[in-house]
Amino acid sequence: MAATGYKRSWKNLLINKRYQLRFTLFMVGLSVVLMVGLGIWVMHTVNETTRVAMTSLRGQACPAVRDDLDDAASEEDEAPAPRPSMKLPDEKQPPAAPAPAAGSGADERRPKVEIVESSMTLMPDKKPAKPPIPADFEDRIIKHWTCELAQAGALDQLEHGRWVILWVLVGSGFMLAFGLAVYGIKTTHRVAGPLFKVRLYFAKMRDGRFDTVYNLRRGDQLVQFYNHFKAAHAGVVGLEKADIERITAVIKAAEAAGAGEHESIVQLREILARKEKALE
Amino acid sequence: MSEPVVTKEVGQAPVYKRRLSNFLLDKRLQLRYVILVVTLSGLIAGTLGYLLYQQRSLAVDSIASDLKELAAQSNDVGLSNVVDEFHSDNIALVYKMIGAGLGLVLVLSIYLLMMTHKVAGPLYKVSMYFDRMAAGKLGTVTPLRRGDMLQDFFAAFRDMHLAVRSRFIGDAEAMSRALVGLRASGNLADYRGDQRAKLDDALDALEKHLEERKKQLA
Repeated sequence: MAATGYKRSWKNLLINKRYQLRFTLFMVGLSVVLMVGLGIWVMHTVNETTRVAMTSLRGQACPAVRDDLDDAASEEDEAPAPRPSMKLPDEKQPPAAPAPAAGSGADERRPKVEIVESSMTLMPDKKPAKPPIPADFEDRIIKHWTCELAQAGALDQLEHGRWVILWVLVGSGFMLAFGLAVYGIKTTHRVAGPLFKVRLYFAKMRDGRFDTVYNLRRGDQLVQFYNHFKAAHAGVVGLEKADIERITAVIKAAEAAGAGEHESIVQLREILARKEKALE
Repeated sequence: MSEPVVTKEVGQAPVYKRRLSNFLLDKRLQLRYVILVVTLSGLIAGTLGYLLYQQRSLAVDSIASDLKELAAQSNDVGLSNVVDEFHSDNIALVYKMIGAGLGLVLVLSIYLLMMTHKVAGPLYKVSMYFDRMAAGKLGTVTPLRRGDMLQDFFAAFRDMHLAVRSRFIGDAEAMSRALVGLRASGNLADYRGDQRAKLDDALDALEKHLEERKKQLA
């Protein structure tokens, strides 16, 4: 008999909940445990690697724009700013100027204001003359900032790579769990479906009914198992038919011999009727 | 495929030994699961491994370039060795990742084989009973092994088998009683000529049939 086109319904996916859920949850649970273990190891290594790489990158010095200017600037940067006084100004005395930082040379650079009675003279800054700008100043600037930007880009790339790995890990973990759950239920359904059908036939056979066995749906698994069942069903039907044949022969012979109304023949007729009905 | 070995009986459920050679009872069913999960795990582990290797290579390259520069300036051979160590560490990580991936695949495969075996085992057992039924044999049914799945299904099969067997036993007994009754009445009644001989032949055939049936139900 050709396989009839039965439609699978989502409602019927869980035919044998105990078997299907047990199998699927076990599969999903184990995969999640393995993924979490693998993920912790991977993230530990990635974090360590990223930290080392970032530290290494930060430690790389970019070429200086101009050594003398850089030195002066660095000196200025390093000088601590004078701390403002927290004392209230004395009314009798003029407010004291903030004390210059020791060794900074800032007092020498600032213009001084000298007030002598009615005249006020602004003295020029005693700043030393700036050194001449080198010829490759432009190239140096480009090199310096190219290096700075490359470092920043590399740092971003490292951080981005770390996040990509984390998200791939989390995403693949969820996809694996979800995919395995769906696959597990669908696949076990293809096993549970034929088993459910066979169980229906079992119930019929238990009640003494041996009617026709139909084929499985397309895509169902356990086709060989089902063929075994069909053979078993046919075997039991064969036993019933053999009984029917023997009983019919005895009844006919008894009727021909004039013993058709014998008590034993009446009993045999009842058995025969039941067996014939079982095969309808 | 060999029959399961019964080692001892505990209550109603006999304890059967599982054999490694019998783990693949239904190759098609079992390997389908295994191949899919292994492929999926391999893909995920491979992707993660590649990303991890890429990240580490980036770090190692950065450090290596620094160290090479430093080694060139100071003529320190030890620094070059450190760079080599970094690269060999990188290769060691690749081997570790391959090992972890293979371990994952191995664990999943073994687990899935065991799980599918617990499904395929009962199906295999029921198939053997089906074969016996197909040959007209309705002997007794023994329970499944502990830990096997599809216990509900097997219980339904056992109930059916028991009901069918009991009905055939009842029918055989009824037919035996009828045979005895007809034989006894034949000696007393005045049955007609050759028809009596035909009835005797039919009863002889029924007797043989019942003997055969008793063997089938044993």
